[in-house]
Amino acid sequence: MTAPVEIERPEAEEAPVADVPWVTVVWNDPVNLMSYVTYVFQTYFAYPKVKAEKLMLEVHEKGKAVVSSGTREEMERDVEAMHSYGLWATLQKAGDRV
Amino acid sequence: MGDVAEGGGPSLSTAFRRARGGGVAASFHTVEIELLRSLVGQLLELVRDEHAASPGDTGWAAELGLSDEEQKRPTDPVLLRLFPDAYPDDDEAASDFRRFTERGLREAKAGTAATVLASLATAEDGLANDSSKPREKIRIELDGDESQAWLRTLTDLRLALGTRLGVSEGDDEQWQALDENDPRRHVHDVYDWLGWVQETLVRTLSAGLD
Repeated sequence: MTAPVEIERPEAEEAPVADVPWVTVVWNDPVNLMSYVTYVFQTYFAYPKVKAEKLMLEVHEKGKAVVSSGTREEMERDVEAMHSYGLWATLQKAGDRV
Repeated sequence: MGDVAEGGGPSLSTAFRRARGGGVAASFHTVEIELLRSLVGQLLELVRDEHAASPGDTGWAAELGLSDEEQKRPTDPVLLRLFPDAYPDDDEAASDFRRFTERGLREAKAGTAATVLASLATAEDGLANDSSKPREKIRIELDGDESQAWLRTLTDLRLALGTRLGVSEGDDEQWQALDENDPRRHVHDVYDWLGWVQETLVRTLSAGLD
């Protein structure tokens, strides 16, 4: 007997790889105040306070955090805005190791 | 991230609070006003785009980031912190991003610094015209746009001083251990004070968010 032929589509692999292919990463720095970083996440991204504080703590404790995702152009806008606030931000492809 | 020493700030200035009419207000000693004016003036000089002043680089091509003259990666660590690389692992993309954004970011930072200088001047003019108030205290009142300018400029000042000093997280004791006459200790005191002023401003503005 032969083994059954695999006829199911490997859906996980064929699914579109990236609806949101880029991310903005904010890095920890020794200068910016925790309250200010939270305030920037609340006001620029319009995140609720709980989410803004969670992201701020992730930056503080892990050294960096993904704070937004979208197209490359959108992420360049976010990074530019973070730089205008004095936060240290970069962008990269969503799949790349942060 | 940075921290503000427990127990509050220096005795001369008062914390920012919500003011009548929707703005925020704090009082500063004239010595502190002079210090702020000097620091913000230096920041303004630092971020003002040196290329903008050179002939042949002020036209529409430069405005759109299409000028032949490339926006070079800063060598000054303070400028590199204010205008960091956006692509950590891609020099070409980082250079393109810098070409399209750094001029605008420099102008925006210069603009907020100029707004802070203007609010300091306004407060001093008010004092000069009112002989009934004690002359060593100056009340600074800020509307929404001015508050945002102060937040960003205080951040830029702290980034500049912190980078020059080489601060790291949790290093407060190291600075306090310096000799009283060591100029770095004085600069670090100023850095701390700016953080205290910013903390009171952020807390006041945050209270109105949720």
